[in-house]
Amino acid sequence: MSPSSICINTQTPLVQFLDPGAAATANGTRDGVDLSSLREGIDYRFSPGGVTRMVYPLVRRLLERGVLTEVHWVALNPRAPPVARAGAITLHNVRLDAGRLAGYGEMKEALWSRIHDLEPERPHDDLFWSEAFSEYAFYNRRTAELIRQLDAAHDFDAFYVHDFQQLPVGQMLETLKPKVFRWHIPFDLDPIPPPWRSVLAGYLDSYDAVVVSAAAYARSLAALAPTRKVIRLYPYVDPAEYSRPGPAAVEAACERFGLATGDDVALLVGRMDPVKGQDLAISALSTIAAEYPRLRLVLVGNGSFSGSGSGLGLSKSAAWRARLEEMVRALGLTERVVFTGHVSQSDLDCLYERARFTLLPSVREGFGLVAVESWLHGKPAIITRRAGIAELVHDRENALLFDPSEPGSLAEQMRRLMDDGAGELVARLVRHGRSTSRKCSLAAAERAERAMLEELMEA
Amino acid sequence: MGIVGPIVSDATALVPAGVIALVTVLLAWVSGLVVGRLLSRTNPRMAGAGRRLAVGVVVLIGGTLALQAIGVNPAVLLVVIGLLGAAILIGLREPLGNYGAKYFSDIYTPFKVGDTIRVQGYAGKVIEINAMTTVLLTDDDLLVSVPNASMIRDVVVNTSPQAWKEVIVPVTLAASVDLPAFESELLKSLTKLRTRLDRRFPPVLTTKSRSAQSADLALTLMLRRPEDRDAMTAEANKRIAEVLDRVRGARR
Repeated sequence: MSPSSICINTQTPLVQFLDPGAAATANGTRDGVDLSSLREGIDYRFSPGGVTRMVYPLVRRLLERGVLTEVHWVALNPRAPPVARAGAITLHNVRLDAGRLAGYGEMKEALWSRIHDLEPERPHDDLFWSEAFSEYAFYNRRTAELIRQLDAAHDFDAFYVHDFQQLPVGQMLETLKPKVFRWHIPFDLDPIPPPWRSVLAGYLDSYDAVVVSAAAYARSLAALAPTRKVIRLYPYVDPAEYSRPGPAAVEAACERFGLATGDDVALLVGRMDPVKGQDLAISALSTIAAEYPRLRLVLVGNGSFSGSGSGLGLSKSAAWRARLEEMVRALGLTERVVFTGHVSQSDLDCLYERARFTLLPSVREGFGLVAVESWLHGKPAIITRRAGIAELVHDRENALLFDPSEPGSLAEQMRRLMDDGAGELVARLVRHGRSTSRKCSLAAAERAERAMLEELMEA
Repeated sequence: MGIVGPIVSDATALVPAGVIALVTVLLAWVSGLVVGRLLSRTNPRMAGAGRRLAVGVVVLIGGTLALQAIGVNPAVLLVVIGLLGAAILIGLREPLGNYGAKYFSDIYTPFKVGDTIRVQGYAGKVIEINAMTTVLLTDDDLLVSVPNASMIRDVVVNTSPQAWKEVIVPVTLAASVDLPAFESELLKSLTKLRTRLDRRFPPVLTTKSRSAQSADLALTLMLRRPEDRDAMTAEANKRIAEVLDRVRGARR
């Protein structure tokens, strides 16, 4: 038996309202603002990247196939109307005032940093006794209460909660119906302070199943919460969304971003965040810049929902970009590095088309779907060993791997691709990469997610 | 004079009886309020019982006086009430004992659903505490029903890991109270006690049941030292009452 009505909970909303005033007045009914009455790109935009980009196509597919008949999506969205409708999906927006938002942001950033093994010198042992934790609890309780009220009205078949920001929702949501939690970021026990482990185990234990993106994370999680059902499902994209733009569109886009014909483009797609390792890419470029005078590094991405103006306004991306720009100036690479900021999907397609290869140099990465995008665009990828997707990579077969803690290893792999040109190595990486990408396709995810939900419903 | 003597014959007697009844209602309300306030720092369930007892005593006295004013012999009435009460107590002794034990079990019995306990020679996981019995599931998949009165009378051993650490404080919230705000303020307040609590287990507020009027919650605290149990329970109750006052005040 499949669930036909489901409640999804994410921190990042599917849609960010660029003009909340217009959204609130435009066709606002008792059932919420209908997105079809608003203008995409002007009144609202779909949240780029991350969880929503993955979940939305799957939900849409399941609705199209009639597997799901009713979907409610609860997310944090302080600058949005309480309810909106995106086709058959009803969006419920949780709103927090600025004071509570700041405390919540402090808590989730501290959680995120520690779990990603960043800032190890910062003491975190008392995080769950801090004032910030009380705001984190407030947000999660408010979310759980909203979900409970929705459940009373709609009698959902199952609840699907996404990402560490929402972890306490399961414990706060008293229901006998199946609750699934998807952990999107890395999960290793080592960086997690011992005082946190019992707290995290308690939260995870409140779900019927926990989904992670890599086998290594599943092992760590099973060690922490042995009574929970832990499932490894690869993140996914819809290959149908990846089109190959024509030469004219590519040239026009390149001109906008200041790329000349004959430039060798190394493309890095990721939000402006220290964990994404843009600094490693710039360092690597400086190492080999003299050898390859036409090699240019293109950095695509802006802040996340948390950092953006239409999101939570908890920006760290501006500071990181300023630091990177300073680094570029200091290394004399101003003409060799391009910062594009956020780009449209069609521009992104053009940049992939124009790229000679792509980089995923993250210091830590839950999975790394941009590598899958690279494979779908037929471009070889250099991938950090510290990404979940690394378990799908056979070095020099479907991608090149490097260790971000080893100085020079990224530059070495970039040199390898530059020297190969369009040779045998690149052809192999492209061929096998495309084949690997099928493991991270929407079709594969649909089968796996349906099987998991059906099993939980049967159980 | 019979129990119901000249009630109808002298209608003027109804006036003082009505006044007494009105005063009784007023006094009952005030006494409930005063006792509730006096007990506000104790366990909410104890405070509720104290409040109801105060109201009951005032109503009983006032009612007796009012009936006397309209000519009903109070001595006969009290004897009838006493005999009825005794009959009820004798007839329902066992279930009332079990119900009473359940009523206060949250406060006095050191176990909860999910714990593993030993009682009266039986050992198992507590899967249900209903009005009359506590149901255990043994390792042999047998259901054992133990009367709640035994849980007060007999020796109960909680064999769950770290059970001694656990202090569970029941909290009843009116539906009008903003639960997220209450929880957030309570967590902030409880951080002051963190040196006496196990840092690995921050306070957890769980919902046990809900109705249209209220929500029954349980606050779980994990002690660092077993001898702090009573003091921690009292301190937690005091802080719960303070936070409730604050949250209600903020709403007003």
